[in-house]
Amino acid sequence: MSAPITAPITAPERWLRVQHDTVYDYDSPVELAHHLACLSPRTTAQQQVRGWRLTVEPAPDGWPAAEVPPELFSTDPWGNARLVFSHAQVHERLAVSSGFEVGLSAPPRIDPLASPAWESVAESLRYQAGAVRSEAVEFTLASEFVPRDAALAAFGRQAFTPGRPLAEGALALMQLIYRQFAYKPLATHVGTRATEALALKRGVCQDFAHVMIGSCRSLGLAARYVSGYLLTRAPEGKTKLVGADASHAWAAVWCPEQGWLALDPTNNIPVGLDHVTLAWGRDYADVAPLRGVIRGGQAHPKVAVTVEPL
Amino acid sequence: MPGGPPTGHDAHMSSSIFSARAQQSSLLPEDELLPDAVALAAAAALRGKPGHHDELRGRLSPAAAAGTSAAEMSPLWQRFFQATGVAGWQDLEARAARVQRRVQEDGATYNVYSEGMSGETSARVWPLELLPMLVDADEWQGIERGVIQRAHLLNKTLADVYGERRLLDAGLLPPSLVFAHPQYLRPMHGCQPPGGVHLHVVAFDLARCEDGLWWVVGQRTQAPSGLGYMLENRLIIAQQFPEAFRELSVQRVGASFQALLQGLMRLSPEGERSRVALLTPGPHNETYFEHAFLARYLGISLVEGGDLTVRDNRVFLKTLHGLEPVHVLLRRVDDDYLDPLELRSDSTLGVPGLLQALRAGGVVLANAPGSGWLESPGLAGFWPAVARELLGEELLLPATTAWWCGEDAAWRAHEDQLNDYVVAPTFPASETTQGFAPKAVAALSAGERAALLARIAADPAAHTLQARLRPSETPVWRDGHLQPRDAVLRVFAVADGAGSWHVMPGALTRVASRRDGGADPWLSMRNGSASADTWVRTEDEIDTTSLLPKPLTAADLTGAHWTVTSRSAENLFWLGRYTERAENSVRLAKLSLESLATAARDDRAAELLPLLDELAHRHGLVGESVPEAEQAPRVFERSLLHALADTKASTSVAWNLRALQSCGQTLRERLSTEHWKLIHEVGDHFSQHMKAVLDKGAADPRADALGLLARAATHLAAITGAQTDRMTRDDGWRLLSVGRQVERLDFLAHALAAGFERGLQRSDEGFMLLLGLFDSTMTYRAKFQARREVPPLLHLLVQDTDNPRSLAWVARTLRGRFVKLARHELGWAAEVVAPLPQPDEWLLERLCTPDADGAYPELVGLLHGCSEQAQALSVALGRKLFSHVGTHDQRVWQ
Repeated sequence: MSAPITAPITAPERWLRVQHDTVYDYDSPVELAHHLACLSPRTTAQQQVRGWRLTVEPAPDGWPAAEVPPELFSTDPWGNARLVFSHAQVHERLAVSSGFEVGLSAPPRIDPLASPAWESVAESLRYQAGAVRSEAVEFTLASEFVPRDAALAAFGRQAFTPGRPLAEGALALMQLIYRQFAYKPLATHVGTRATEALALKRGVCQDFAHVMIGSCRSLGLAARYVSGYLLTRAPEGKTKLVGADASHAWAAVWCPEQGWLALDPTNNIPVGLDHVTLAWGRDYADVAPLRGVIRGGQAHPKVAVTVEPL
Repeated sequence: MPGGPPTGHDAHMSSSIFSARAQQSSLLPEDELLPDAVALAAAAALRGKPGHHDELRGRLSPAAAAGTSAAEMSPLWQRFFQATGVAGWQDLEARAARVQRRVQEDGATYNVYSEGMSGETSARVWPLELLPMLVDADEWQGIERGVIQRAHLLNKTLADVYGERRLLDAGLLPPSLVFAHPQYLRPMHGCQPPGGVHLHVVAFDLARCEDGLWWVVGQRTQAPSGLGYMLENRLIIAQQFPEAFRELSVQRVGASFQALLQGLMRLSPEGERSRVALLTPGPHNETYFEHAFLARYLGISLVEGGDLTVRDNRVFLKTLHGLEPVHVLLRRVDDDYLDPLELRSDSTLGVPGLLQALRAGGVVLANAPGSGWLESPGLAGFWPAVARELLGEELLLPATTAWWCGEDAAWRAHEDQLNDYVVAPTFPASETTQGFAPKAVAALSAGERAALLARIAADPAAHTLQARLRPSETPVWRDGHLQPRDAVLRVFAVADGAGSWHVMPGALTRVASRRDGGADPWLSMRNGSASADTWVRTEDEIDTTSLLPKPLTAADLTGAHWTVTSRSAENLFWLGRYTERAENSVRLAKLSLESLATAARDDRAAELLPLLDELAHRHGLVGESVPEAEQAPRVFERSLLHALADTKASTSVAWNLRALQSCGQTLRERLSTEHWKLIHEVGDHFSQHMKAVLDKGAADPRADALGLLARAATHLAAITGAQTDRMTRDDGWRLLSVGRQVERLDFLAHALAAGFERGLQRSDEGFMLLLGLFDSTMTYRAKFQARREVPPLLHLLVQDTDNPRSLAWVARTLRGRFVKLARHELGWAAEVVAPLPQPDEWLLERLCTPDADGAYPELVGLLHGCSEQAQALSVALGRKLFSHVGTHDQRVWQ
């Protein structure tokens, strides 16, 4: 397994509760449905998980009840737990609900200068005879939503100037995206690729993360996509609405000295005590929370996410 | 003397032996005048390219010209020609023609994606050489050992890469090559296929190089093509040289196919009782012929992704009679297309949930998904070290040198010697990788070369340098000569399901299309290479196992169960409907054109026009907006003529013929070659000629159109004949027949009702038109001569159960076939056929009695009922049997 699941060393600094509900109300009955869920939160050095509970209604084929039989999970190459379930009985509504609590510790502060020049990092990630495998290599390669591309490389060079330390360049890239891109929920869709998002200079967190990853990859650096949740605060003087949050996503750039630097270009901040990590992969397609193939019906998903401090 | 067999007078012959012998033998008695076949063959053999091994002579071709003598021919080829004899030698041209004929008769084709904009595929006749490639027994043993070793190695590699990943961690396989390959499938991580067997069939392309040894030049690991073509080649070529085939003790291949099936069933949860199916991407795939051929030979179902469904982690075939479990899938769909849920979400060729079924152990997939990346030529240089790690052995068969440009040092070291290499794509084309045709650098112009260098610099990992090959040359028969041609063997190994491998004693040999080897360094069939049968000599016993049809026992026959998939079922139903529709539209068009012609001269014919107008509108022979025939006969006629050739806006003759064609296309494996050819030709012929007639702009295209319609009618009658006479009367055929009768009942009943509503039976012309619409003019004349009375008319068209065009016959046949088709659900069948009219029970007297106004309201009402019930039956049948065919899967993302 590429990422060892280790228990956090220190006691968590804060606990959050997450509730993520997805409901499909089909406008005509669905005869057959297959789904793949990537909804199991990960345990990391900064995150411990307790009381995770996933329910699916109606109960999928072969499940004794709405709750998942644990032997049905499989693990992808990066250690994310995946779950495939299906419904062969006709149904008009599907509800998938995930709830848990996480204890978070702050990750070490990123030191912009404590890393080699980005060019040498890129060089070290190229294949040479006799080199042993680094888990980072896979994240330098093109993926479905994040190709390697000249325009993305040119954009990345604005942050990764010649000889700049990798960590400093990564922070600069995050800031660049935050400043140049507009957050516009309807400008893109789940199938938008990094190259299109770059041309549009707008989108949602998924697009921001894809552009950041693509800029790194196109320069030969390793970057991965992290799916998760974000704790948001209610506007001044108002109570926060339940379910008003959404799934969130950000990027992590690999530094040989400081490990994966998790950066949130949507908010221009390094990932900290407001971020809950669900899964990581090369891009959205690897870790989409829920994807499915259904026969009959039209799907209108309603997604409600609530993140609140305990 | 191209074309004919060589004789002693052939001026092209280069041999001095031949003439020397001929002179000597002139002193001998008459019957010994002819030299032996070996000498004849040697004399007709052309020289090989210097530096290539010559299979015929069994040695490297020398640089300088040198005479050929019989003694120089390899012992194997000497025995071949001895056994074939002089008579056989002289018969080669005729045998070559027989081979071509057999290939045509079998419908053996290879689909080539057209270069044009249409994006359509065109079928090329499978190119097969007359002479086989010969491999001796001791040599084959070496190949066999080397192939088995490599097959083991590849299976172990997959187990490691989807499991422990030691090879990647240690850098023995380059992670950035494996992980970038679109056929490395992450969802397969941790998945253990049944018995740990990822690979069930692997193929290696072998070439004999200058040193006389066999070298591996490529490998096929996801869904190797060629098994079916290899079998087809053997079935045809062995018959051409029966003496040589026996004399050389050629090992048979039948047992290997059985070994493949047994190996698959051994791993299947259902063992010997397993249902095995071949999963094809469909008729447009380039090797579809062999999918159908192989499925037939192995006795397994040929299915497409849409025919299968996964329920509760098990795979089922959707058939006319419900879901039937499938346990083993021999798949010819590419890795990344197998499951739209977990792999490429835009794939329509796969089965959603298939990977989960594999994980749950519910199905054996041969080969397991995620095996295609082993084919990358970029990996060639890494296998020796992998073999040492996983097997503790050196590889027995060498492989051609290859350098993956993704390794900077390798690229830098060889970029100055590019002329010695072919630049090949490391990856197949995909969303994330670029594919291209391999290029021999030495053959490029300066500009092309610079462009190639720039592309390599931009994406080195996508490119691999392969050392240029000098494959051995094997003789082909051309214009009375034995021409040497570059040859590559594709050798197949199959897993026995118990941890061992079996190498098929034979191969699919590809031979270059030109003597100079041609531009394609890989000799691909796509670029015009031909194929040859491959004979492997054995010193062991000959295994005569064959899967070819053996005499059937009574038990086989009574227990036979022919599965009709839901998709074929729907297509068969529509094949029946379109055939009938095409016939109806041809007849209607012909009658309309004739009546329009008569009406122009004779007022009495003009009263026919309103009926023809109504029918032409109803069946789409003219557009909605076309004015009525009576008011504007010339406009009407022009529209009718134009619509005949139109395949888009109207549903006239060309449209129906096109629909018939595309239905037939999906059913190719069920139709006889003649049947399919007829369907194909009638559409093309009619459309082409009708367009030409219209384009010519002749003042009166009517006569030409009538000629073409008559011809189409004859063609369609032949198709109908093939359907009634040549097809097995299984449930598929019943559906076809039901489709046809539904269409016929609707068309005829409506036409007759509309005719009586207009009182056409009262005039001579109208009476004849009604008979014409029923295609019953001759029958009527034979029975009732010139009488023009309603009772005989209605008797023949409505009630006569001996007339296959009477409503009674049609309704009764429809009812009977439908009930038999739905025999497993008699309750439902009874409910559906209950409202179907029974015209033979109607009272003729009442039908023939007009009311006070001279109208026939009861008849007309009953006839309209026939039309409605025919349509209702079609709807009920579709809802029940095809409902899961029509709807499409949708992808949902959150």
